[in-house]
Amino acid sequence: MSTITRYGPPGRLTDLSDVGLKAWHVFIADSVDQAINGPDPSQVLHDSPRSQFYNLTKTETAPDAAEATVTWTAFPNRLRSAVSDRQRWQRADASRDVQDEYCEWSVTRNEAGKIIRVAFTCEGPEYWDVLAQTSPETALELYRAHISPSVQSSDLFGPDGRYLRRNKWNDSTTHGAMHLIQPSNTLGAEIELAAAATIRRVIEGRQLTGAQELIACSKYGVADRNSDPHIGEVVNSVARQKADLALSDPVGLYFDDLATDGWSTPDGSDAKSYWTYERGDTGHPVRAVYEVAERNFTVGDITISGKPIEYGAQIADFITMKLTAVACRFGRSTTEPQTACVEPPAREFSPGAFSPHALSAHGYLGVHPDLASRSTRLS
Amino acid sequence: MSVWERTPERRRATAWAAAGIPDGNVGADEALTAGTSADDGGRLREGRLYRGVSGVDQGPRPMSTEELAGLNDPMAVVFFRQARWPMTLEDLLDGLTQANVLLAQAVYMIGEAGQIPPDEACELSRDIRFAITRASSGKDPDLLVSSDPTSAFLQVAAWDSTAQVFNYYMRISPAWVWTGNSWSALEPGSRGKGCFDSHANGSVVMKELKQPWNNWQSMSATIQLAPDDPLRGNPLYRQVIGAERLELAVRGLIARWTTARLAAVACDGMVEHPDHVLRQLFTSTTVNLASSSTQSATVTHDGRDLVLPMGFWLNSDALINDFGLPVSVETAPSAPASFYADSLATFGFRLEERTSGFSRQGDTFFAFVVPEAAYEDNEVVRQLVEKSLVPAKFAACVLMVDFTNPVFSPVRARLMKYVPMASASTATWCAEIATSIVAAASTLPAGSPESQFAENWSLAEAEWRAVLARRIDDYLEKATARIRTASGFDDFTRLAESRRREFKAMRLNEFELTLPMTDIAADAPRLRMNEDATVTAVN
Repeated sequence: MSTITRYGPPGRLTDLSDVGLKAWHVFIADSVDQAINGPDPSQVLHDSPRSQFYNLTKTETAPDAAEATVTWTAFPNRLRSAVSDRQRWQRADASRDVQDEYCEWSVTRNEAGKIIRVAFTCEGPEYWDVLAQTSPETALELYRAHISPSVQSSDLFGPDGRYLRRNKWNDSTTHGAMHLIQPSNTLGAEIELAAAATIRRVIEGRQLTGAQELIACSKYGVADRNSDPHIGEVVNSVARQKADLALSDPVGLYFDDLATDGWSTPDGSDAKSYWTYERGDTGHPVRAVYEVAERNFTVGDITISGKPIEYGAQIADFITMKLTAVACRFGRSTTEPQTACVEPPAREFSPGAFSPHALSAHGYLGVHPDLASRSTRLS
Repeated sequence: MSVWERTPERRRATAWAAAGIPDGNVGADEALTAGTSADDGGRLREGRLYRGVSGVDQGPRPMSTEELAGLNDPMAVVFFRQARWPMTLEDLLDGLTQANVLLAQAVYMIGEAGQIPPDEACELSRDIRFAITRASSGKDPDLLVSSDPTSAFLQVAAWDSTAQVFNYYMRISPAWVWTGNSWSALEPGSRGKGCFDSHANGSVVMKELKQPWNNWQSMSATIQLAPDDPLRGNPLYRQVIGAERLELAVRGLIARWTTARLAAVACDGMVEHPDHVLRQLFTSTTVNLASSSTQSATVTHDGRDLVLPMGFWLNSDALINDFGLPVSVETAPSAPASFYADSLATFGFRLEERTSGFSRQGDTFFAFVVPEAAYEDNEVVRQLVEKSLVPAKFAACVLMVDFTNPVFSPVRARLMKYVPMASASTATWCAEIATSIVAAASTLPAGSPESQFAENWSLAEAEWRAVLARRIDDYLEKATARIRTASGFDDFTRLAESRRREFKAMRLNEFELTLPMTDIAADAPRLRMNEDATVTAVN
């Protein structure tokens, strides 16, 4: 195998113009390069470089390459401490800001309040930044096709012409979900996490191997998600085999599957048949819809373990997400493990460094995830 | 000793000797390697399917053509009826594929030592096993295989869609043995024997059913392998997916068998063996193991609170999720991390396998593993209510007796004596049971199981849900307060250990490393939780 010429768009989507495709490649390649370099060691200790992470366009993938697919459940783990299922489903359906497993959804109900459609997306916001900047008409058409024919250009773009990730058609759990908007749900975060997780940690003579101890020590991602600790653990397990690792092209987050074990439809039809992928190629779906067509019942009439589907979150319990990495040069890496945990820079606390507003808006303490993600740029 | 126990082709149940559990079943005197012969010479012969139901059959005997014709699961149809005898896991899986049957394969992996770094415990037998499901595309699995990478044991549960049962098979080289079907689990002769020590009610089993699926490879934890572990080269290992997917499959399969079972035993307005059904409401016929989602080793004194599993506090799955009691408390009780960290030293927590001499300080990989009400018990109750065979109020009133002890409650179990064993009308059986209990309560002291039930049962239809929910709220609020005191957390730690010891006495507990050991005295009294969240000895 050799290098690839450029990174392709998520799901091998065909929306982008040539300029957009180039911009997308640059964004991914830059993100990967910055992730390889890691933070400035004078600012953050023990978190750089990440020399077992590589750029597919610059470093060859060796013949011993093996792919590793990492999967996790779409329902937000941090809502699991609820006392009842109903409580956690209600909370998950209440706000996109808690849908932090790289999967967000919006629920459509009929006049009787029954669910008729749930749309799920795992498209990174950065892709839509590039698309909206380079092909604004295409972006508008896609919104009209997938969200509502009523979408206007002015709904999507601010007075300065900049695309609004959180616009009126993409900021709720009831009026559409075009792409990810939860602050931690970014492709930049995925790349940074994968790179940081390639650092092996040997602390006081013991090699860290557990998902939770690794994320606590390496301080990548968000510890109480299903996704981040698991991605980090799997990546690190590959790194411990002294292999190099890259995120597979096309870099992205994808739907893995919907399980329908224990689901029952009123007419005995296959509950899985109402799950369709609307965007992305085979193996890389980025948009899925659960909707019953041409039957005399709705999604709300389908039961899961005897309980009717009343929340989109009930479906999310059965959805798995995935990303794919490629590893090679097994046993050949000479990178030494770090013997200490990441030490973030000492910060002077100023009124602006933390505010209740930051917590209420995003639900997370610490660095605002937007600050960790990279901006997209045209070049 | 039964064929199931005697054969070397079974799992290495390290926990049984440690717990003083006999390695065989009393009354099962089949001969396999010595004594009387099931076949000639005391050996199984190749190319045959035997029948050997522990506790029922005197010994494995060849199945007749008619008996084989009565089996309609994929193992019988694809293999045995075609005189095909796959002797390895690979042969079995390939045979299904070649027959173009059940092509959707999912591979899972479990090992009680799977989170112990291999280089830290060379003496430890890792006992890693595969669980493999095979299904038709888009359908629930019809075949589940349990085996280890070396195929030293090979066991299969296969769904017979005609008979609506799981058939259970195990390979005892050079033959296969049908060890019973789902109904065998419920028959007095074979109940709890052979494979039905774990398939307690006839369905498939996944003890650690919920997140974080302790011991399973999952999105919560990856099993640790040495760099040169030959398993890495095993094609099945490369197919392993997370146990989060198996949980969904197992729940669906338990529901499938429960539906079939209830359709068979409750028809034409009558229910057969009411005691067989309702023991899953009044008692713990089996349990699942739940835990916190926190890796024990990451708990530090200044770390985040430890959320204990809801199943430790009450049967929330049934009472809150299935019956919909409108509780107000929104978050499970959680303990300061320091209390848990201190408890590990205070009580001498350690993982120990006496058969290998392995011992290591600390708890299981995920903290605070405890038995909780079994999904398969709850599913029976849920379907009974869904099918209007049991009123929701009746089921809730029973489960609210001693509800703070969701498993192994002798108090709730005492009410089983009011459940008839003879066939009963589904229109009246619960009312009759309730009437009997209420009548008895009038002559018994307040606080008796009967009185507790009678008090619940006296609630008006319009209010019982709210009243019972308030009791749960009051209890959880007290538990939430007590767990944030050092003495309270110590009490709950002792209670958890008390319940773990009851689990350890069950044959369901196969491996010593499933649960931690502690320094709590072996003869410490059995403990119970009270409604004020205090812990006291069982009377």
